[in-house]
Amino acid sequence: MNKTLYCSVAVLALMTSVARAEAITVLVEGGGHSLQQAAADAFTKETGIEVNFVEVPYQGVYDKLSAEIASGTSNYDVATIDVVWNAAFADHVEDLSDLFTDAVRADMPPALVADATVGGKMIGMPAWANAEIVFYRKDLWEDPANQAAFKEKYGYDLVPPATWQQWRDMAAFFTKDGIYGTVVIGGTSEEWMAEVLQAGSPGVILDDAGQVILDNQAHIDALENYRAPLCLDKSVPDNALEISWGEAQNLFYQGQAAMMKFWAHAYKMTPEDSQIAGKVGVAPMIAGSAGIAAIPGPWYNVIPSTSQHKDAARQFIAYLEAHNALGIEAPLGLAATNSAYQSYMGKPGYEHFGPLIETLSAPATKGRPLNKDYQELVDEAVMPAFQGALECEDNVAELLQDAAETARDILGQ
Amino acid sequence: MADRPSPDFGKTVINLAALVLVLSYALPYVYLVSTSLKPPADVQQIPPSFFPGRVSLENFATVIGTAGLPNAFVNSTVVAVLTTLLSLLIAVPAAYVSALYRRRITVIFLLFALVTRMVPAVSLGVPLFQVMKTLGLLDTTLGLVLAHTSTAVPLALLLMSAFFEGVPKELEEAARMDGCTRFGAFVHIILPLMPSGLAITALFSFIASWNEFLFALLLTSQNSKTAPIVIAEFNSVYGLAWGPMTAAAVLYSLPVILVTLLLQKQIVGGLTFGAVKG
Repeated sequence: MNKTLYCSVAVLALMTSVARAEAITVLVEGGGHSLQQAAADAFTKETGIEVNFVEVPYQGVYDKLSAEIASGTSNYDVATIDVVWNAAFADHVEDLSDLFTDAVRADMPPALVADATVGGKMIGMPAWANAEIVFYRKDLWEDPANQAAFKEKYGYDLVPPATWQQWRDMAAFFTKDGIYGTVVIGGTSEEWMAEVLQAGSPGVILDDAGQVILDNQAHIDALENYRAPLCLDKSVPDNALEISWGEAQNLFYQGQAAMMKFWAHAYKMTPEDSQIAGKVGVAPMIAGSAGIAAIPGPWYNVIPSTSQHKDAARQFIAYLEAHNALGIEAPLGLAATNSAYQSYMGKPGYEHFGPLIETLSAPATKGRPLNKDYQELVDEAVMPAFQGALECEDNVAELLQDAAETARDILGQ
Repeated sequence: MADRPSPDFGKTVINLAALVLVLSYALPYVYLVSTSLKPPADVQQIPPSFFPGRVSLENFATVIGTAGLPNAFVNSTVVAVLTTLLSLLIAVPAAYVSALYRRRITVIFLLFALVTRMVPAVSLGVPLFQVMKTLGLLDTTLGLVLAHTSTAVPLALLLMSAFFEGVPKELEEAARMDGCTRFGAFVHIILPLMPSGLAITALFSFIASWNEFLFALLLTSQNSKTAPIVIAEFNSVYGLAWGPMTAAAVLYSLPVILVTLLLQKQIVGGLTFGAVKG
């Protein structure tokens, strides 16, 4: 009797442990959950491994993962993290180098692979990526009267803006009849950073060796160009410092701006009751002397070193990469691999994928510095200079020299 | 004969001043309600409008359809009610003893009780996380109730001590002469004199737990996630859903407003408690 009981208990215990091994928990931000749910469902169907998502607010991903790491244990087998946290978590996650086969690398924009590499270790697999591209009003651009007037004034055809000069010309041209040509964002600095890369800088804020280059010529040229529509051309709302992405997006949606640079996902999310619904055109990010460039906004799936189900987590991440297109039907409609984007090329409603993949794959496109002090560098060094420049009075080179000094102090250089 | 301002004039001025004061407090909330009633396209209108041009309940419909939010509201209610009860259960007797039997040790006790209020909540986050993990209380209602109680008790202790200080010690002595035990005197004689103090302390404990964010973020994930976390999820990395977020915030504020209205008499009594004490 006792023997039977012990055997039953042992079998039950074994079954329980197997059942537990067949479930993984993924820490993710709300939007990221929807992008991964379809692939997770398919993964469970194929492998039998259950995937439980724990959805938290954006900053909650960082806070919860930090608390777990500090406690030395983890409830999470996978965490989907913003690229800006890659450096902070690099020492506490598994190396996924084996998942980055030649085929996987070839199917991704190089900038995403570069952002996954921290200290020679592949710390995460890109889950999806975004980048700013050009949004413009097709109805304005295709209007024959506008086309004729533009050509007469500037001497070339009115086409979607592709260069710095075209951007400024078109912004100035369309600043009329109660609308602005475009918007200068003063609340965040990423759009200027993209122009830094377009101007040929080897990186933003820091070079590959980690040295401060915040005051190099490309940073200066880019900031002069970035503030020109505000300070010289007067082709944007004058309250740039109060404008961040949300405000810029709304000015465009409300028909108050003729064009904007914005994250590509917004194309699919144009409100149906917006004045410009059905009139939005998209183009790759504008180019400077170094060509098209943007700051990518990828998210990475990482495996915390404290995960209890590393093998299952690894399988899940590999599956997500191989079936990356499954997330495209989600509201944000983003992916990380070229093949995922290409599988939707030509489909109505996905016109932004061409410009997005061209922007993400551009040789000058590069991520933000993978440095643990990145946020402090932005808050303490970059933003004061950037926002000071947008007041249109101070000398850009001097502002950036001061910013570079502050950055060197922060990094002890 | 010089004209003297009529009493009505003085009253009007006071009323106007009160109205300005109330509006300065209420304006953000009124704007929150107003925003929640705007159609999605008008929510972030530039320049912003204070009142909705068109009234729409679409944001409320979105909120009601948001997966997890109804559960989160239930979790918030359960956690806040249990935290309030537990805080009162611990703090009220402790406050009574420390107020009526003031010794050096009770003063030290009160000071130490305030320690959790003296350090930033974020510094307690990881230790609390570890404790709850060890106890197997992560993502449980009990775990969050204990965490909230740890910060609500000092506040309740401080408030109730102040109320008990207004109670003459002779009341307890008289009750004991009539045959009450010390605990009996406390329960049957002293506590019934304290409805205002209890109401205010309960309300503050309830609100502290109801609105708490950080511990709820760190200690819960799926089963006991509270509404502030779910409301914060409307702020995604790719956009802030102002409309649904304000609608959720309006709905979430209603129970607190309701409780405050229900306890209005006791709260006003508590605020004026001891005001005429000689």
